[in-house]
Amino acid sequence: MTGPQIFRMTNRLDDVDAMVVELTTAIDDKLAMDTRFRFEICLSEALTNLVKHAKTSDADAPIELHLTTENDTVIIDLFDPVGAQPFDLRTKAPDLDQVDLLAESGRGLGLIVQCADSVDYGPVNGKNRLSLTFTNAA
Amino acid sequence: MIHTTSYDPDITAIRPGIERLTAMNAKAFKDEIISLIDAGSTQLIVDFKDITFVDSSGLGALVGILKKIGNRGDLALAGLNSDVVRMFQICRMDRVFTSYPDVASAVQTMSERP
Repeated sequence: MTGPQIFRMTNRLDDVDAMVVELTTAIDDKLAMDTRFRFEICLSEALTNLVKHAKTSDADAPIELHLTTENDTVIIDLFDPVGAQPFDLRTKAPDLDQVDLLAESGRGLGLIVQCADSVDYGPVNGKNRLSLTFTNAA
Repeated sequence: MIHTTSYDPDITAIRPGIERLTAMNAKAFKDEIISLIDAGSTQLIVDFKDITFVDSSGLGALVGILKKIGNRGDLALAGLNSDVVRMFQICRMDRVFTSYPDVASAVQTMSERP
């Protein structure tokens, strides 16, 4: 396994799509179509959730992302911006079957939990890290 | 953002004018279509031919539009690609929205309704 590629994104909603496209393009030849789709959904939802809801002490603090690839597996680590309150989405993610079909919001966290092959969250080197793993089906 | 084409009888097809319907543009997309509804257009088709990606905010915007139309009209979707179809299925939105292969199919079906 080589070291991770490191990306930084400003903490702005307008920058989410460009970062998602850049990272999805970066793993384009690593993942099968279905896995790539799940990666793109999860990354989009996770970054949007961070930008919209992370309460940071510094609004200009960037979001750092580490992209690691190994054989048929891609790991994307999203580090909360400095000063953000810890938020373990696994404790809040709804079962998508339980979401009101006519709800206009509230699906993002459930999508992440359902579409990633594994979801981890916790402190790493003084920062809070959401780690999402995607592996091609055998 | 959006572009519209009118068909008889009172059917409006909407090209969103974007490739990705996400949190960045979902509210503007919804607001523009709600303005159309407020102006009297209630038989709507959203053409997804050029949309490659939809996130949960985009789905939420579509649900908001559907609720705004209510029982006054109809909202159909056309030209969804396989990734967008998958997103609808994961979120159970395929139970909520009617979709067609393309705008022409949607127009034909909607115009044949009594």
